[in-house]
Amino acid sequence: MPSLTQTMVAVGLVTQFAAEKPNAKIIPSLIMVNNVLGAQDAVITVQDVFTPAASNGTPAPVLTTQSRLNINVSMAACVSIRDELKDIEILGLLQLLIGVADANCIVTVAWNFE
Amino acid sequence: MFIEKPVPEAMVSPGVPKLLQEGYYVKFTNAWPAEFSSISGKLFQIAETNVVPHDIHHIIPTNDFRDVDLSNSAGGENLYPENVNTLNEVVLGFKPGNYLAQVYIPAGEALSRLEQASMFPDVTNVVTRYLGQRTPTDSPYDDKRIFMYFVRNLEPIIFRMFVDTGIDFEKVVIGAMVNKCRLSLITQPTPDQERLAKIIRYYSELRW
Repeated sequence: MPSLTQTMVAVGLVTQFAAEKPNAKIIPSLIMVNNVLGAQDAVITVQDVFTPAASNGTPAPVLTTQSRLNINVSMAACVSIRDELKDIEILGLLQLLIGVADANCIVTVAWNFE
Repeated sequence: MFIEKPVPEAMVSPGVPKLLQEGYYVKFTNAWPAEFSSISGKLFQIAETNVVPHDIHHIIPTNDFRDVDLSNSAGGENLYPENVNTLNEVVLGFKPGNYLAQVYIPAGEALSRLEQASMFPDVTNVVTRYLGQRTPTDSPYDDKRIFMYFVRNLEPIIFRMFVDTGIDFEKVVIGAMVNKCRLSLITQPTPDQERLAKIIRYYSELRW
């Protein structure tokens, strides 16, 4: 399964992890937040970003961002989430939003396609 | 021209190929109308096959639908053949999700309906939304059970993909396997060839 480790310093506070795979959903299998050296509590939201297809009710769809999971990791803590993710489905691009950018907050995400 | 195969009750050995193979026979019924005079009532042998997988995918909001036209019409998925001697056997399956499909051929004419006047599928109606539905359980992506047979200029077959309530959006993934079959006309079929041939009915025969 693919995985990626990044620090949460992105401009705009979102960090992209997995691009959309058009014919599959992304199923996150692991999120590890290493906030041991973090300057503050890390509030992280898993976001799903996509543009829906034109449909009967929405003939001109726009880029949509849906929050799928919210994680709060205290300073000096390291948290790993695995089982809680099994029912989370990402339809589009998988990105993480952090409340306050922090170069010492390190996040690892692993995922499968379904 | 539309068949939904049930789950098998028994296994046979050696296994039987799921798709039409080279050397197989197909026969089009006499119900195919005059514009299909080159195939109507005739028996063909499959001269060559070529299987082409293809995925169709759309993200659709809850309680909403998108019509997926499999024909070569503008905006269609272009799964129909362009040559008169080609038969496309198309096998469809769905990846898991909170959605269903209603099938129309041609547009506006539901494939599945009951005899009582109000019993036709309508995804905007909570009662008849599930009438005639095809779901990912009925034809899974990895065990496709919906078989369709397309010839050149056949009327468009429409899959109305409806995302059911209880979810914000859903990704609809339709897996298609297009088995391109080149047909070779048998001008004087023997009784054995007639007996072995797979019968391909016109869509009007499916609704009675």
